[in-house]
Amino acid sequence: MSIQEIQKNIGGIKFSVFSPQIIRAYSVVEITAPETYDRDGLPVPGGLMDPRLGTLEPGQKCATCGNTSAKCPGHFGHIELAEPIIHVAFVDDIYTILQCTCRVCHKLILNDDEISKYKKILEESKYITPEVYENIAREIKSKAKKVRQCPHCGNVKYEIQLVKPTTFYEIREEGPSRLLASSIRAWLEDINDKNLILLGYDLEKIRPEWFVLQVLPVPPVTVRPSIILETGIRSEDDLTHKLVDILRTNQRVKESKESGSPPLIVQDLVDLVQYHVTTYFDNEVSGIPQAHHRSGRPLRTLSQRLKGKEGRFRGNLSGKRVDFSSRTVISPDPNLDINEVGIPIEVAKKLTIPEKVTVWNIERLRQLVINGENYPGANYIIRPDGVKIRLDYVQDRKAVAAALAPGYIVERHLVDGDIVLFNRQPSLHRMSIMAHQAKVLPGRTFRLHPAVCTPYNADFDGDEMNLHVPQGEEARCEAELLMRVQDQILSPRYGGPIIGAIRDFLTGAYLLTKDDTYLTKEEFFNLANIGGYFGPMPEPTVKEPKELYHGRQLFSLFLPKGFNYTLRASWRGKHVVIKDGILVSGVIDKSSIGAEKPDSILHRIVKEYGSDAARNFLNSILRVIKAYLTSKGFTIGYGDFWLPPSARKAVNQAIAEAYERIKDLQRQYEEGTLPLMRGLSPEEALELYIVNELSKARDNAGKVAEKYLSDDNSAVVMARTGARGSPLNIGHMAAALGQQSIRGKRITRGFENRTLCHFKPNDPNPDAKGFIKSNYRDGLNPLEFFFHAMGGREGLVDTAVRTQQSGYMQRRLVNAMEHLRVEYDRTVRDPEGAIIQFLYGEDGVDPSKSDHGKAVNVRRLIEAEQLIAKGAPIEAEELEKLLSEYVHRLNPKLIEELKEALSKSELPKENVENVLKRTVELFEQALIEPGEAVGVVAAQSIGEPSTQMTLRTFHFAGVKERDITLGLPRLIELVDARRQPSTPTMDIYLLPEFAEDLDFARKIAAEIRFSKIGDVVKSSEIDPSGQITFVLDKEAMEELVVTPEYVASQIETGKRKPEIVNEDTIILMVEGADPLSLQRIRNKILNSRLKGIPGITEATVVKEGSEWVIQTKGSNLAKVLKIEGVDPTRTITNDIYEIWTTLGIEAARAALVREISKTMEEQGLEVDIRHIYLVADLMTVTGALKQVGRHGVVGGKASVLARAAFEITVPTLAEAAVKGEIEQLKGVTESVIVGLPIPVGTGMVDLFITQGENVEQKSD
Amino acid sequence: MDKKVGQKEFSIMDHILVPKHEILSPEEAKIVLETYRVKPHQLPYILSSDPVVKELGAKPGDIIKITRKSEVAGVAYYYRYVIEG
Repeated sequence: MSIQEIQKNIGGIKFSVFSPQIIRAYSVVEITAPETYDRDGLPVPGGLMDPRLGTLEPGQKCATCGNTSAKCPGHFGHIELAEPIIHVAFVDDIYTILQCTCRVCHKLILNDDEISKYKKILEESKYITPEVYENIAREIKSKAKKVRQCPHCGNVKYEIQLVKPTTFYEIREEGPSRLLASSIRAWLEDINDKNLILLGYDLEKIRPEWFVLQVLPVPPVTVRPSIILETGIRSEDDLTHKLVDILRTNQRVKESKESGSPPLIVQDLVDLVQYHVTTYFDNEVSGIPQAHHRSGRPLRTLSQRLKGKEGRFRGNLSGKRVDFSSRTVISPDPNLDINEVGIPIEVAKKLTIPEKVTVWNIERLRQLVINGENYPGANYIIRPDGVKIRLDYVQDRKAVAAALAPGYIVERHLVDGDIVLFNRQPSLHRMSIMAHQAKVLPGRTFRLHPAVCTPYNADFDGDEMNLHVPQGEEARCEAELLMRVQDQILSPRYGGPIIGAIRDFLTGAYLLTKDDTYLTKEEFFNLANIGGYFGPMPEPTVKEPKELYHGRQLFSLFLPKGFNYTLRASWRGKHVVIKDGILVSGVIDKSSIGAEKPDSILHRIVKEYGSDAARNFLNSILRVIKAYLTSKGFTIGYGDFWLPPSARKAVNQAIAEAYERIKDLQRQYEEGTLPLMRGLSPEEALELYIVNELSKARDNAGKVAEKYLSDDNSAVVMARTGARGSPLNIGHMAAALGQQSIRGKRITRGFENRTLCHFKPNDPNPDAKGFIKSNYRDGLNPLEFFFHAMGGREGLVDTAVRTQQSGYMQRRLVNAMEHLRVEYDRTVRDPEGAIIQFLYGEDGVDPSKSDHGKAVNVRRLIEAEQLIAKGAPIEAEELEKLLSEYVHRLNPKLIEELKEALSKSELPKENVENVLKRTVELFEQALIEPGEAVGVVAAQSIGEPSTQMTLRTFHFAGVKERDITLGLPRLIELVDARRQPSTPTMDIYLLPEFAEDLDFARKIAAEIRFSKIGDVVKSSEIDPSGQITFVLDKEAMEELVVTPEYVASQIETGKRKPEIVNEDTIILMVEGADPLSLQRIRNKILNSRLKGIPGITEATVVKEGSEWVIQTKGSNLAKVLKIEGVDPTRTITNDIYEIWTTLGIEAARAALVREISKTMEEQGLEVDIRHIYLVADLMTVTGALKQVGRHGVVGGKASVLARAAFEITVPTLAEAAVKGEIEQLKGVTESVIVGLPIPVGTGMVDLFITQGENVEQKSD
Repeated sequence: MDKKVGQKEFSIMDHILVPKHEILSPEEAKIVLETYRVKPHQLPYILSSDPVVKELGAKPGDIIKITRKSEVAGVAYYYRYVIEG
C-alpha cells in the first residue's frame, strides 16, 4: 500500500434517534427473505447477504458503490416491521412520557398556569446550562406523574405499569389492560412539540414515536461477516442469526394478519417479534430469557458488542493495537547503561525504522540494503512513487542499492543507539514507559539495567516486557526529549529519585565504603578504569608497607567536584559527609544511593548537576560496585543462621518465659483479677494481653539471635544496608517465626473450640492458636507448618483482592482526571475551559521538578553561599527591605522561609542578594509547564502507591479503643465520597479553659454517648390491662448519671404519662391497646433515646499533649458543635459528607485533603500534596461532593464517548441520542477513540502558518 | 448541663476547616473574570444552600473569594460562583 497523507477532520459527533423515514432513506435494499444463500451458494436478493449491502470477499465489487472490499464501507438495508415494536433502549423514556401525558388528549398533564410558568422560565433564562435545563425537566416530570386527572380534558389518568422489559399496562378500575405498541406509538405521535420541550426532549430533531420501531435498519454485511470454517461450512454471525429470526417471525405476523387470524394469535406473534428485536439489541435484558446459539452459547448481540472490557469501546476504540512492537522475557545486565535496553538480534531484524535517503546517509543505507536480511540490514525500500519493495524477494540487492536515491525510504533494522520505548504492565505511572537506547545483543531476552527495575516494578522471575519503535521523526524526538530514563529519575509522585541502587549494589556499596576496606593500587586503578574514570589519581591513604587506597576514595572519584553533602547515619556508624566531592566519612547504603530515597546523594546530584550527570554517576558507581563485589564475593547460606547452643537456649527461654506469663494471665482471668481495659470485655482484654506477650516473645527471640549474629554476617549486612530483608526476616530464619495470624487475629477457626484435632478443646497453650516456636533454619513441625500455610494463604488472597481493588480505583481516577491540563496562565482546566484550580497545586510548582515537594531548597542554597561568604552579616532591616522586593515574585511561604533562614545565616548583603536571585531563578525553573497532563499524573500518583497498601483495617489495640478503616478501603471510601464512612469517628476538643480538666471531659463524654432507654431497663413487663412496667437497672443508671425522674421524662410524650412507682420502677398506662401493639410500644420506648447524641455509640477521653480530647465512635458534627464546653472551631469528624453539609464545600475540600494525606502517610507512602489538592478540588468543583466514578466526576463529563467508554456504555449512548447530545471531541478519551491527537501535553500545541504569503511567493 | 459556660455564638466560619470566604463586589468580580478570561459558569461553583453561603448571605450570581491557607504556598486564592442548589 502506498503512503498517503489523508487529512481527516472530525468536528464532532451528533447523537440522535433515526426516524423511519431516515432509515428508509439510508437503506439500499428492503430485506424480506429470511434465507441468506440459495442452493448454489449465492446470496439471495433481498436476503440478509444481499450484495447491495456491501462486499466481503476481496475481489468482489460492491453492487451499490462499485468499490472493492477494501474501500466499500458497507450499506444499510431495512426491514419493514408488520407491527410497531418498542425499542428496549428507550423503554424508560416511553414510560415517563406515558406517565406525564393524558391518555385521551395526549397533552402534558399539568395545568395551564404551571405550563406557562415553566415556559417562561425556559424562555427567560437564555444562559441556561444543560444541568439547569435537566433539573427543570425533572421537576416537571415528577409533578406531572402525581397528577390524577387531566386538567385539559378532564379525563382520569390511569396509573401506568411497566412490566420489564417492554410491556405496558394501564391500571384501570376494572383491572390492568395492556397497552399495545401500536397504540403507544399513536399516543406518542399525538404529543405536541411544545410539551416535549418541557419534558426535556431535544426540540426539533427527535420525536418520541421514533422510540417505537416501524422500520428496523439492517447493518451492512461488513458489520456481521460470515466466517468460512476449515470444513468449508459457512458460519453466520450472531447478528445475522438474530436478523433471520426477526425476519421469520415478522413474516409470520404478516401472513397471519393477511389470513385474518384472531387478534390474540397475531398478538402472540407480535410479542415474539418483540422478543427477537429486544434480544437483537440487547441479549442481557432482565426479565426475558437470553437468546442462544444452536451450540447453547448466548448470542453476542449489539449491546454486548459495545459493552465491557473487551467490547468495542474499551477493547477496540480506546485500546489501539500497534505495529513495530515486540515482547519477550527480561533479564538483567548490569553492564548496560541505565538508559540502554538490550535487544535480541532476531528482534532487531524484525523491528525497523524508516529512514529517508539523503545525500548524507545514502552510502550507509546502500550498504544496509545490500546486507538485506543479514543484520545490520534492511527489510523494505519505499520508492518515491509509493511502491514498497520487499528485500527478501529481491534477487540482486546490489542493483537495488545502486538505484537508491534521495527521496527513497529505507526500512532499516534497529541498530545501537536507536530510541525505543520500553514498557512493563501494569502501567501504573508514567515511569512504566520510558525511552531507552537500543543495544543489539545476542540472546533471546530483553536486557535491562537492574537499577531501572524500580520504576517498572520488574523482577526477573519470568517477567515479560514490551518494546515499541517510534516510526516518525516527531515521535522519536519527543521520546528523546521527554521520556529518557535519566529524565525520569525523579518521580512526580514525591519529587525524589525513583531510580537508584538496589539489592547487591547496596551490599557492594557498603562493603566498598566501610571503614576497613582497603584496595591495592592495582585493584584501585582497575576499578577506577571500570568506572570510566580518567583523571589524576588521589594519594593513597596508606603508604607503608604497601600503597593502599581506601574504598571511599574509589567512591569519591565519581562524585562531582565541589559537591558537598551530609547525611545523618541511618544506623550505627558515622554520618555520611562529603566535602568538595570527597567522601570523608560514613558508609554508603540505601539512604545514600538507594532507589526511592529522597534527599540522598543521588537526589542531590540530580538536582544540582542535572540528570545526565546523575546518569553517569549511577552508571559508573554501579559498575564499580558490581566489579568490586564480584571480585570480593558475597554469599549467604544455611550456616549464616547457625546459633550457638547457648543462644538457642536463650531463644527458647524467651519464649518459655512468655508462655509462663500467659499462663499467669489466664489464671488471673479465671480468678477475675485481670486488670480490665476500657471498652473491652474481659475475654478481649485477655486476648490482647496474650497477643502482646507473644509478639514481645518473638521480638525478644529475634533480638537474641541478632546479638549472636556478627556484623559481617551476610544476612545482617543485607538487612542493614537495605539490600534485602529486614531484622524481622533474620529473626524468622534464625530464631522463631512467631504468631501466625488471620485477619489480624490469632488462628481460631477449624474444629469446635480448637484449631486442629491435635489439640484438646479450648487448649490454653499458645501453640494451639498458631504460635510458631521454630525458625526457618531448623524447620517447622507439621502443625506449625500448617498454621504457617494458613497465614501464607491469607497473604496471597489479600494481594489478589488488593490488586483488583486498587486497579479499579486507579481506572476511575484516571478516567475522572485524564482531561485536566495546565493552561498557559497556569490554571488547571478541563477541555471546556472550566477552571478546576486557579494556580496548579496552589503554588504552580511541578512536583517532579520540586525538591521533595519544595519549590526551592533554601537551606541548601544558603549552605552553599556560606562557603564562599565573606564580610559582616546583613542588618535585619536591610534584609526585610530586600525581601520586600521579592514579595511579588515568590509566594508567601518561600518569603517566610527565606526570612527565617537568612536571618540566622549571618550572610553579608551581597550573598543574601545572590541567594534571593537564585531562589527566584530556581523557583521559576520549578514551575509547571503549560499543557502538562496534571490530571493523569495526580491519578497515577495516588493510584500507584495504593497497590502497596494493606487491605486490612487496623485496630488500635489498647491505646485508642476504636477501629478505624485505614489503607486501601479508606482511600476508596474517600474517593467514593460515601454518605457514611464505614467507621465514622470524631475528635472532640474542649474549650481552652476546660481542656485540661479531666472530670469535665469525662462529663461531656458521658453526655455525648448515645444511650437508649433500654440500656437502663433491667426488665419490663406487659400487663394486658395496658400497663407496662419498667424495672430500672440502678448500676446502669449510675454509670450514665441519670435519675428515674429523667428516665420518666424521656418516656413521656403528649399521650404517654409514665409514673414513678419507686426508685427503680416506672409504670406506663396505655389505654385501649391490644397486647400486640402494647409490645410494639414497649419496644419502641426501649429503643428510643435516653440521652446523648444520636449516632455516637462510644466516647472515650484521651490525652493529647496537655489537653484532654474526646474520641468517639460514630459521628454527628452538627449536634456536637452545639454542645457547650466543646470547642466548635477545632472539633472534627472523618465523615466528609457531614462536613460538607454542616461546614460547607470548602471545609469538605480541606477535610478531603487532610483525610487522603493522612491515609497515605499512615501507610508510609509519600505523595506530593499537590496531587491530593487536585483530586479534592475536582471532587468539589461543582459545589457538591462528587464521587470519582460513574455517578460523580466521570458521569459529569461533557463527552458522550468518554462516559460510554468508562462504564454503562449502552444506556449512556441511548440517553445521548434522546437528548440529541453533540460530542465535541475536546477531551482525551474521545480523541483517542476517533484517532485525533490528544489535547494535552505536546498534543495541545498547534502550528499555524499563514498560507496566503507562501502561495504568493511561489507564484512570483 | 453546666450553665456557667459563657459561650459566644459560634459561627461555622470560625472552624479550622473553613477558610475565609468573602463576596466580591461587582468590580472585583469583573477583574477576576477578566484575569482568567472566563465566563462565570466556567468558575468552580458553590451551592446557594451551602452553609457558608447562607451565613454570608450571598445570592446566586455572586462570586465568592476564598483565601485558603496553603501548605505549599502559604496563601492560595480560589473563587467560586454561587449557583442555585
